[in-house]
Amino acid sequence: MKILKGIAASPGFAVGPAHRVAKAVLKPGRRTIPAEGVEAEVERFRAAVARARDQIKKLAERVERDLGAPDSAILDSHLLILEDELTWDRTIERIREQRLNAESAFQRSVADISRTFADLQDSYYQERILDLRDVEERVLRILLGCEEEAIVLPPGGSVVVATNLTPSDTAAMGSCDIRGFLLAEGSRTSHVSILARSLGLPAVVGIGSELAGLPDGASVAVDGSAGEVRVDPDPETLERYRELDREQVDVYRKMLHLRDLPAETPDGRRVAMMSNIELPVEIDTALANGAEGVGLLRTEYIYFQHRDIPNEQEQVEAYTDILHRMNGRPVLFRTLDVGGDKVKKYLGARGEFNPFLGWRGIRFLLANRPLLKAQLRAMYRAAAEGPSRIMFPMITGLEELREARAVCRECCAELADEGLDHDPDIEVGIMLETPSAALVADLLARECDFFSFGTNDLIQYTLAMDRLNSRVAYLYQPLHPAVLRAMKAAVDAAHAAGIWCGICGEMASETRFAEVLLALGFDEISLHAAQLPKVKQVIRWTTTAEAAALLDRLLAGDTSTANERLLAEYIADRKRRREDEGGRG
Amino acid sequence: MKTMQTTVSDPVGFHLRAAGRIVKVAKQFESEVTVRFNGRVANAKSIMGLASLAADHGSLVELEIDGPDEQAAAVALVRLIEVELAEPEAV
Repeated sequence: MKILKGIAASPGFAVGPAHRVAKAVLKPGRRTIPAEGVEAEVERFRAAVARARDQIKKLAERVERDLGAPDSAILDSHLLILEDELTWDRTIERIREQRLNAESAFQRSVADISRTFADLQDSYYQERILDLRDVEERVLRILLGCEEEAIVLPPGGSVVVATNLTPSDTAAMGSCDIRGFLLAEGSRTSHVSILARSLGLPAVVGIGSELAGLPDGASVAVDGSAGEVRVDPDPETLERYRELDREQVDVYRKMLHLRDLPAETPDGRRVAMMSNIELPVEIDTALANGAEGVGLLRTEYIYFQHRDIPNEQEQVEAYTDILHRMNGRPVLFRTLDVGGDKVKKYLGARGEFNPFLGWRGIRFLLANRPLLKAQLRAMYRAAAEGPSRIMFPMITGLEELREARAVCRECCAELADEGLDHDPDIEVGIMLETPSAALVADLLARECDFFSFGTNDLIQYTLAMDRLNSRVAYLYQPLHPAVLRAMKAAVDAAHAAGIWCGICGEMASETRFAEVLLALGFDEISLHAAQLPKVKQVIRWTTTAEAAALLDRLLAGDTSTANERLLAEYIADRKRRREDEGGRG
Repeated sequence: MKTMQTTVSDPVGFHLRAAGRIVKVAKQFESEVTVRFNGRVANAKSIMGLASLAADHGSLVELEIDGPDEQAAAVALVRLIEVELAEPEAV
C-alpha cells in the first residue's frame, strides 16, 4: 500500500477505482501546404476560431446557469486570447510564410506564449497558462474534427485523476456521479477544489509528479481532510474507509428528520442555525440540512470564480441570485477578505514578509476604495431583493469600523441620487477575529449591529501562532483560557449593548464544542452544512443549565490541556447518558 | 513617436481583466503601442503579451506610442492605466 500526500482541498472519504482523465494528447501532424492551398488553410483556421468563439459563449452561459454567477470575465479573456496577435496573427503568418498546416502553426504560436508565462516568478500569472491551454485545446479539436472527444466522462463511482483540469472540463464533470478528485497540480482555490467542496466530494490536489505513477483503474482510498490517498489499500484499510464513508451517509440519514426542527434546548433557548457558503451551488445542500439562512457568504469565491475583479453589475447579479435561491432567508455577505495567504492566490498582488499581519481584510478594502464601493453598492442593491447583512473582516478598532460605515453611507447616498433600488437599512456588523476587537468589544458593539466570530484567526492572533507552521501548530488551542476569556468577554459586551452575536469560524463546525458555544451565549451558529444536523442535535439535547455548568468549569481551567481533558470526559459521560436514555426509550 | 512612463493603478496589477481593458482601448487607435516593464516588452493590443509582463500594482511601466493618433492614444492609455484601472469597469 502506497500513500500519496497532497493539499487537503475538500474534506470527506471515498473509495473507488481511479479514473484517469487523460485527455488524448493532441498530436497534430506537421504538414507542408502547397503554395496554392495556403489561403484555403488560413480560411480553415479562421473558421475554427469562429467556431471556438461560439463554443466559449455557450460554455459561459452554461457555467452561469450551473454555478449561478455570470462568468463573463473568463469568457472575455478567452475571446481576447483567440484574437490576440500572438495567437491569431502569428498563426496566420506561419501558415503563409512557412506554409505550415493550421494545427501546427497554431500550436507553435501557443508554445511561444506558454514559454514566456512559465518563466514568470509569480504563480498567479503562471496559472494563466491554463486559460491559454484551454483555448488551444478547443481550437485544435475543432481543426482536427474531434470536438466530441473533448473529455471522456468518468464512469459512475470512480475517483477522477488528472494532472489538472481546465475550467471547461470541470464544468462538464459537475453533473457526473463521481466520488472524488485527485490532481497532480492545483491549489485550494483551483476550480476543481471549489467544485468538490460545493458537491461535498473529497479532493486532494497538488500531489505532484507521483500521481503520474498511479495506474488507471487502481483501487484508491481518499481522505480529503488529511490530504492523503492510499493506493491499493489492504482489505482492512478499504473497509475502514468504506465505513467512514458510510458513517457520513448514515449520520446524514439519521439526522435528516431534524431538518425542520429548531435548534432549541429542552428549556427553550433557541439558536439560529446558519450555513457558511462559498458558491450558490451549495445552497441546495444547506437547505437540505436545515439551514435557516447563510451566516457567512465568502465573497472572495465569487471574485475567484471570475479570476478577476467582477464589476458592480456582475456582483449585483451574483448576490441577487443567492438571495433568490435562499427564498426570504437572511444572507450575511462578508466583504472581500483578501490578504494573508489569499492576496497572492486570488489577485496576484505582491507577497509580504508577514502577510497575516499585513495588508488584508478591511485594511486592503479601505486602501482600495473603488473596489470596496463597487462591492458595497452591489450588496445594498441586492438587499432590495431579500434580507441581507454586511460584515467587515479584520476590524481591530473603532476607526476602521467608522470609516467603513462612512463608505456605506456614501454608497447609499449615491444609490439614492441615482434612483437605483436598494435597502439602506440592512444590518452592518464585524467579523470578530482580532484580540484587539475582543478587548474593545464594548466600544465596537455601540456602533455596529452584530458580531460574528472568526475563530481560526482569533485563535491564531490570540496565541501568536501561525497555523501553517507545523512546528507551532500544536498551539492551535480553541480551549486555551485566553481564547475562552476573549470570546466570553466579547459575547457579553455584544449582549450588554443589545446586539446579537454569532460564530462562523471552524469551531462552530466541531460537534464537541456545541455545548460550549451554547453556554457562551451565541445567538447564531453558522457552519459547514454537512455538520449542521449534528450540532443541532446536541443543542436539542442539552439544557442551558448543563451547558453553563460545563462552561464554568472550563473558564476555571488553567491550561488548554486541562480543558481538553475536561471536555473529553464530559462528552464521554454525555454519550453514556444518551445511550442509557436511548435504552430506556 | 512618444515615450512616457506611468504606474499601474489597478489594485492587483495586469491580471487578465485589466489587460483586456487595455487591449480594448489600445485597439481604438491606429498607433502602435509598446509596453515595457522589467526588461520585458509587449504590444498593448495583445492580452497575452500584457499579462506576461506580470506588472503588479504600482509598477512603473513605459509606453512607447507611434502613429498618426499617438497624442490621443497616449492620453487615453495613461488615464486608463494610472486612474481608471483602479475603478471597476463601467456597468
